[in-house]
Amino acid sequence: MSEPVLKVRDLSVVLERNGRDFPVLDGVTFDIAPGEVLGLVGESGAGKSMTGIAIIDLLVPPLRRTSGTIALSGERLDQLSAKRMRRVRGKRIGFVFQDPMTSLNPVLSIGRQLTDTMRRHLPLTRGEARERAIAWLTRVGLANPPRVFAAAPHELSGGQRQRIVIALALCAEPDLLIADEPTTALDVSVQAHMLTLLRELHEETGTAMMLITHDLGVIAKMADRVAVFYAGRVIETAPTGRLIGAPLHPYTAGLMQATPAPDADGAMRVRAIPGAMPGIGALPPGCAFHPRCERAQAICREERPPLADAGGHDAACYFPLVEEVVS
Amino acid sequence: MSLDDVLILNAVSKAYGGRASMIEKAFGRRPKGLQAVREVSFTIRKGEVMGLVGESGCGKSTIARMAAGLLAPTGGEIGRNAAMREQMIFQDPFSSLNPRWRVRDIVAEPIRTHRLRPKKAIDERVAELLRQVGLSPEDGAKFPQAFSGGQRQRISIARALAGEPDFLILDEPTSALDVSVQAQILDLLRGFQAELHLTSLFITHNLPVVRLMADRIGVVYLGELVELAPTETIFHRPRHPYTRLLIDAAPDLDATDRSLHPIPGDLPDPSDPPSGCVFRTRCPFANERCAAERPELRTVETGQVRCHYDLDLSQRAAA
Ligand SMILES: Nc1ncnc2c1ncn2[C@@H]1O[C@H](COP(=O)(O)OP(=O)(O)OP(=O)(O)O)[C@@H](O)[C@H]1O
Ligand SMILES: Nc1ncnc2c1ncn2[C@@H]1O[C@H](COP(=O)(O)OP(=O)(O)OP(=O)(O)O)[C@@H](O)[C@H]1O
Ligand SMILES: [Mg+2]
Ligand SMILES: [Mg+2]
Repeated sequence: MSEPVLKVRDLSVVLERNGRDFPVLDGVTFDIAPGEVLGLVGESGAGKSMTGIAIIDLLVPPLRRTSGTIALSGERLDQLSAKRMRRVRGKRIGFVFQDPMTSLNPVLSIGRQLTDTMRRHLPLTRGEARERAIAWLTRVGLANPPRVFAAAPHELSGGQRQRIVIALALCAEPDLLIADEPTTALDVSVQAHMLTLLRELHEETGTAMMLITHDLGVIAKMADRVAVFYAGRVIETAPTGRLIGAPLHPYTAGLMQATPAPDADGAMRVRAIPGAMPGIGALPPGCAFHPRCERAQAICREERPPLADAGGHDAACYFPLVEEVVS
Repeated sequence: MSLDDVLILNAVSKAYGGRASMIEKAFGRRPKGLQAVREVSFTIRKGEVMGLVGESGCGKSTIARMAAGLLAPTGGEIGRNAAMREQMIFQDPFSSLNPRWRVRDIVAEPIRTHRLRPKKAIDERVAELLRQVGLSPEDGAKFPQAFSGGQRQRISIARALAGEPDFLILDEPTSALDVSVQAQILDLLRGFQAELHLTSLFITHNLPVVRLMADRIGVVYLGELVELAPTETIFHRPRHPYTRLLIDAAPDLDATDRSLHPIPGDLPDPSDPPSGCVFRTRCPFANERCAAERPELRTVETGQVRCHYDLDLSQRAAA
């Protein structure tokens, strides 16, 4: 197997409050292979965005990384100086934030933002950058690229802005694209356009992708592999088909049942997981999911189940659901 | 209006804006304005859950606010059953609760306004409501900021139920929530619906959610009701091409079929809608007649559809 584009080992982040450290991410471990799309799922507050932010080293106090190695194509990002890390962001890792306005400068034209980004990272003349910017606007499916090039962000719709943010994240030809809920704020029809666009660009450029979402439908269509987050930890990883067809962790199964969907005979069903995910500083001992788990036994309340390896199908659970054969 | 009708919309329209600019005044021109809702008609009967779906900006919230009497239509009539009490649950659990009020006062407000309980019974009633929505009576002493999005939506539900409504209008009650909290809120609402025989208007752009909750569904596109039918008919035998495309656009949980189905084209500018059928610019079946003539809302089998062609879509695709 070739070297992973991204290799994250034992990543931990804490939140400091009144002189005490509370875990926000705890021992997060995963790989992303070249060209692979890894989906990160889990409910709100599970630590998905935090993982992305820790990878690009944008944590600010009271948040702090306490352990972990992060390697991009073999190079240790966690050991880079702040200055060298700035070059990695934007050039080697593109980031799409959930709110498009986070990535856009409200007072600069779209064209200026695209050409600035490209010229910062690629050896291009002004004219070449302009040409490429127009090509990117066409590529992300915007009608009338010269008009959009001259436009300010507020002159565009939410869907148009999200396309531009994707162009901005990809225009410096990064090795890895981190997309944080790129379609959550959009409705079904614009979402399907956006996912199609992301897929086309991914197929064209071969960029590996970390796709953060809490929508399992998006995962089913886009991800090759999935990491499920719960209370700051990865509790299951699997190839997408396996995860959806035969989840091992009761939490993953619960998340799927909580998504309204028709069952085999067409009747709609939804089943909520009782209770709520524990907040920061309120983690129970043992498995963080045990207070909400029907299968929990004594050991689950005492010892934290490990996640063995980051490659195959694995769950941090002492009593996983039986793996059924999926074709 | 029969005793069993809770709400009747008859060709209801809403135009926004339209204050004339200097130039328009000088030239005696009428301002452009925006036709957010155009001749929408439907009836909600006692005990039913009527769903409304459609893309962002199609006019769902405008219809909801008119149905709740919070906004006056600029055309058509709304008939209301005077014996029915209404409550509304809003899209945004963050701005719909007054941050300066304690939760117990928020929940008690409809009880006080409608004088539903004697003064000394109010505290007890509020505690009971908070328990019913999965919060604790002690939460009543806190302010809304102390709660997560899902908990705030529970507070909104408690407030709505406090008004002892016969008719509940829900505008995207779970859109701001993640799947797990959404499932809890949907469970809660379904429980109340069954227990209290509530009539509701349930608005969302999430198709699986509306399929779960509604008995009948209205599909809205660019301010027009393009199809109205029982829920399973909408999903199994949609008549309007837009309905079919909207259903297909939502990614399902099948990881073996990874195809995506965006609706072709873009939403037209709502202040300059297409002539004839509003959907024709994106419709794979559109022809000259669709550009020339606005289709009537016609009755077909169990529903209604605003399309010139009433072929079953499967037949049309095969033809
Ligand atoms: N700046 C911050 N200061 C303190 N706590 C924070 C901060 N940002 C995030 N958190 C907390 O860290 C935890 C993980 O948050 P994160 O944003 O990673 O969640 P998420 O999985 O992305 O959720 P969502 O689906 O809502 O985006 C949450 O408990 C959150 O409240
Ligand atoms: N107060 C207002 N003044 C002017 N235009 C408005 C106003 N409120 C809404 N609109 C416009 O009317 C149309 C319908 O808006 P509405 O909020 O009803 O849509 P919606 O279907 O609820 O959308 P969403 O799914 O985004 O909530 C949109 O084009 C919107 O921009
Ligand atoms: Mg997040
Ligand atoms: Mg709305």
